[in-house]
Amino acid sequence: MKLKIGVFKFTSCSGCQIELLRINENLPGLLNLMDFQNWTMASSNVQQGPYDIAIVEGGISTPEGIEEIKTIRRNSKLLIAIGDCAVFGGIPSIRNWMKQREAEDLVYPKPEHLKSMKVSSIDEYVKVDVYLKGCPPHLDDMLEALKAAILNIRPRLRQHPVCIECKFYENECLLTTYKQACMGPVTAAGCGAICPNVGRTCEGCYGPMSNPNVKSMVERLREIGLTDEDIMRKFRKYAGTSEYYREVARL
Amino acid sequence: MGEAGAFVAELNDLQRLLDEFTKHGYTVYGPIVKGKSWVFSKVSSIRELDLNYTRTILPPKKLLHPVKNRIFDFKLNDGFEVFESCNVKNIVIFGIHPCDLRAIEKLDEFFSQHPEDVCYEARRKRTLIVGLTCNAVDEKCFCNSLGTGPEASTGFDILITQISDGFFLVEVGSSKGLDILKTLDLAEAKPEHFEAKRKHIEHLKSSFTKTADFEGLATLAKDKLDHKIWVETAERCLSCGNCSMVCPVCYCFDLYDSLDLTLKEGVRIMELDSCQLLEYAEVALGGNFRKERSQRLRHWLLCKFGAAGGSTYTSCIGCGRCIVYCPANIDLTEIAHVLKGG
Repeated sequence: MKLKIGVFKFTSCSGCQIELLRINENLPGLLNLMDFQNWTMASSNVQQGPYDIAIVEGGISTPEGIEEIKTIRRNSKLLIAIGDCAVFGGIPSIRNWMKQREAEDLVYPKPEHLKSMKVSSIDEYVKVDVYLKGCPPHLDDMLEALKAAILNIRPRLRQHPVCIECKFYENECLLTTYKQACMGPVTAAGCGAICPNVGRTCEGCYGPMSNPNVKSMVERLREIGLTDEDIMRKFRKYAGTSEYYREVARL
Repeated sequence: MGEAGAFVAELNDLQRLLDEFTKHGYTVYGPIVKGKSWVFSKVSSIRELDLNYTRTILPPKKLLHPVKNRIFDFKLNDGFEVFESCNVKNIVIFGIHPCDLRAIEKLDEFFSQHPEDVCYEARRKRTLIVGLTCNAVDEKCFCNSLGTGPEASTGFDILITQISDGFFLVEVGSSKGLDILKTLDLAEAKPEHFEAKRKHIEHLKSSFTKTADFEGLATLAKDKLDHKIWVETAERCLSCGNCSMVCPVCYCFDLYDSLDLTLKEGVRIMELDSCQLLEYAEVALGGNFRKERSQRLRHWLLCKFGAAGGSTYTSCIGCGRCIVYCPANIDLTEIAHVLKGG
């Protein structure tokens, strides 16, 4: 029996779904195992649930969104949150640190029509079974989560820092050797160290690793000359509302 | 020192040596410049090598105990079929410093214990080791204090020492090394060349600025599990794992299966792991033997002092990599100093 899958999007850029579409050569194999019954980005043939697995991108930022995510949860056996927006609130949650009306005024000429709230991770409202961090999460992680769901085992998702993957590729250390503001030591791996691989610092897009030492990281960034405001921005960017980053992001 | 023979060579002779390796079907790896760092990489010309390098990012262990290694393929049909493949080729690691030579000897000792790591052994059997006495030491080197350098007497097939500009003493460490060297028709080394090397080693020994005293620490550290240094240092520690990843003797690895989308076939992967990571000591149902950062840091340091389960197989050889690559400036020689009551 093929698993019935629904793919849903809330406040986000759709990049996670694009990553899932990158499935290409894996598609035939995947279609043997599952049936995408509701994925509006990929097919206009939409079937209503219930689903075995709901794959959800995006954070919740409207009253309708709350209703919708609760309906999805009720209709799905397993819920996989994909990407930082669904897991932490993501980039849209940067606006959580200012007044809602200020954010609205910055973007819209007539914000009075908006019904928008602060952005939340989806587990603010419903239980999430699998969290796939990343902006976007690597396709391999999505496949790992889906395979594990079918086999009913725990997926192998990296929670250790990017530094580990950086060493796998023997990249030069941007933090120790170049004194650059690399977020690698606090950021969850899974990306394959793609930024350091091309000589760019880790921006922290996978959010916090399993137990980041944020306090020490702040010290390291100060040592190389970042102001507290620079540091605050770094921690706000992808996962500012997460339990680990909240304190520094509030700075 | 040079018991099986010794020769002298110029730079072009070393190129002939590389050519000879290639002719015999070896792929040669040596230290090359990568930005402000060095890495062991495939080379074909002696000019690509930087014989003045201090230390590479990853030690030679990356070639003998790869960071990620497919150890077998498997099929799940009625039963369980396994197809082993170590994927081994003939390699030469050219230009290994004495501290790293000692590290390879430790890895050899560890992986040849029962149950042997057959892939490691297969790889090791087809590896020729060309040691290189350091041209200089830097402020992070402390092999001299541990007796793991700066002079190597074992652990190589060939050992090269630059005794004057562009002029090298080439010592034989094994019959394999001798067989290759014989084909080059090099002039035999004379006592004056050994004397030049001795002077160079003396000079190196007097250039160390970092010292370390690990004597008796294996026992002492175990008695000081509650010392405040562990908790204090852990406040800085990022648990990034850099120290153990770049350590030439840290061999700990993870094993996991990766299934393809048929869910019937897959591969088993052996991947370098680090005891600094929270997940390392995690067991079923979320139990964790080293949940606290200070416990993990302490564990690694005890290991480097020769006090952990790995015993002396994993104890420090003084290369300085963990100090160079620690974003939080944690220095194990300073911790040793504090533990010894300094």
